[in-house]
Amino acid sequence: MLFNSFAFIFCFLPVTLAGFFVFNKFDKNQFAKCWLVGASLFFYCFWTLKNLPIIMTLLAVNYFLGRELHSLQPRWPKGILLKLGLIFNIGILCFFKYANFFNDISGSPFELGKLLLPLGLSFLVLQQITYLMDAYEGMSKPRGLLDYLVFGTFFPYLIAGPITHYEELVPQLENKENFKFSPDRFSLGIYIFTMGLAKKVLLAESFASWANTGFEESASLHFFAAWKASLAYTFQLYFDFSGYSEMALGIGQMLNLELPINFNSPFKSKSIIEFWTRWHMSLSRFITTYMFTPIVRLMPSITFTNSMVATFLAMLIVGVWHGAGWTFTVYGGMHGLALVINHIWKKKRKKKKPIPFFGWFLTFNFVNITFVMFRATSLENALQVYKAMLGLNGVVIAKIFGLSKESALIKSGWKLGSMLKPDDYLVLILLVAAFVLILKAKNIPELSKSFKPTTKTAVFCAMIFSLCLFGFNRITDFIYFNF
Amino acid sequence: MAQDILQQVEVIIKKTFDNDDVSITLETTADDVDEWDSMTHLELIDAIEKHFKVRFALGELQSLKNIGDMIKLILKKTSP
Repeated sequence: MLFNSFAFIFCFLPVTLAGFFVFNKFDKNQFAKCWLVGASLFFYCFWTLKNLPIIMTLLAVNYFLGRELHSLQPRWPKGILLKLGLIFNIGILCFFKYANFFNDISGSPFELGKLLLPLGLSFLVLQQITYLMDAYEGMSKPRGLLDYLVFGTFFPYLIAGPITHYEELVPQLENKENFKFSPDRFSLGIYIFTMGLAKKVLLAESFASWANTGFEESASLHFFAAWKASLAYTFQLYFDFSGYSEMALGIGQMLNLELPINFNSPFKSKSIIEFWTRWHMSLSRFITTYMFTPIVRLMPSITFTNSMVATFLAMLIVGVWHGAGWTFTVYGGMHGLALVINHIWKKKRKKKKPIPFFGWFLTFNFVNITFVMFRATSLENALQVYKAMLGLNGVVIAKIFGLSKESALIKSGWKLGSMLKPDDYLVLILLVAAFVLILKAKNIPELSKSFKPTTKTAVFCAMIFSLCLFGFNRITDFIYFNF
Repeated sequence: MAQDILQQVEVIIKKTFDNDDVSITLETTADDVDEWDSMTHLELIDAIEKHFKVRFALGELQSLKNIGDMIKLILKKTSP
C-alpha cells in the first residue's frame, strides 16, 4: 500500500489514527501500541505475505540479542553478541541483495533462482544495527517486547526510512502528553503530509516519464535530450524521496511522534561536503557514526590521510548498499572521491572565502552527473548518456527564435529539429519551477517552525490535496523501495 | 570542575587545530571554529580521549551538539 493511494489515505490511515487515539483516550496505552504494531504489519503484508517470515525472523533475533545486550548479566559476552548480531544482519542483507550478482559475475554453474529482495530490508537492517549498537553502548534503556515491536515495524518508516534510533521513537510513546489528540500537531501533520504528497504526485511523477524515456533511448540521445533526461531524473529522485520522507514525518506528527528529518534543502549546498549533511540525513548520520568513525578508529593513528581513506571506503560501501551492480559501486566511488577532493581543497584554502555561486554550480552539476550513474541500468547505459551530455552525439535544436538552415549555429554543425511541442514547454516550465523550489522555497523544517493552522492554510492544503488526487491514476513505486 | 575541564579542552582544541586564537565557551559549536569539521572532529575526540583517559561510545559522538555537551560527557566519564 503506497502512501499516495486511495486505500492508504482514505481507509488505512484514518482507521489507524482513530484506533490509536481511541485506545489512548481510555488510558489503554498498551492496546494503542498493539494497534500500531498490528496496523504496521497489515501495511507491510498488503504488498505481499511472502516476506513476512523473513522480517519476523530478523526482528525476533534482534530482539533477543538486544535483550541480552541490555541485560546486566548477559549469558554471553556482549562483544560476541554484538558481533553475532552484526554478522546476522549484514549476512541476511548481503544474501538477498548480492547473491545473484556474485553468482552471475563468478560464472557459477549453480542456479540460485530469482532471489527477490524483501521490501524495506535494506532500511530495516540498518535500523536494527543502530538498535544493537545503542544497546551494546548503553545508549538505550531496556524495555519490553511491545515497545521493540512498535520500533521495529512502525509503518511510516518501515519501507524507506528515515533511519530512526530506538531512543528517538520509544520514549515519545511513554510520554502521556503524546496520548492526547492534539489539533495543532494533527494540522501540522496533515500540512507536511500534503506537501510531501504534492512533491511525489505533482512533481516526481511528471519528471519520471521524461527520465524513463531518456534512459531507455540512451543510444539515440542528443545533447539537449540527454541533459533533459539527467535533470529530470535528478528532480524525480529528489522530489520522490524527500516527498516520501515528508509524508512519513507528517504521519508521525499526526500520531504526536517526531521522526528525524531526512532532507534539508540539499540542492542549496555549495560543496559536496555540505550536500551530504543535507541529503538523506539519517543515512549520512549512520555512515558517519557506524562506518566512517569505526574505520578511522581501526587505523593506527588519526591523520588526515587516514580520514580520507575512511571517507572514500565509507562512500564506496554506501554505493554498494544501494544495490548490486557496478553502477552503484561507481556512484559511491565518485562521491567518495569528490568528498576527498573537497576536504583537500578546504584544507589548502584555509580561511580564504569560498565563492558561493561557483561552489553551488559545481556541486549541483556534480550531483546531477553522478545521478546518471545511479539511475543507469548498466555502465554502458550511463556512458551513452554521458556521451550525449558532452555533445558527442551531436546537438539537435528545435526551430525556435527564427532559426533556419542558414543560421550560424546550424552551419556550425548543429542540427535543426522539429518545432517545440506542448510537452517540451511543460518540461521547460517544470524545470524552471523545480529550480525555483529547490533554491528559493522554504523547506519542511522551516515551514514547520512558522506553521499556523489558519483557514488560509487549510484552503491551500485542500487545493494541493485535490490536485494530487487527480494524479493518483498514474501511480508508480517510490524509487527508494527498490534499495 | 566544569570550568577546569573547559580550560583543558580549550588547550587541546588550540593544539589540535594549530590555532592559538581559538576561544571557547560552553555554547561553542563546530560551526564557530573554522578548522572544526567532520574530519578534524575525530582528531579532537582522539586527543580528548587520550588526555582525560576516557573512551566515547559511537552513539555518544553523534549526540555532542556543543562544547557544553562534551564537558558534561567528560565529567560523567571521569567521575568515580
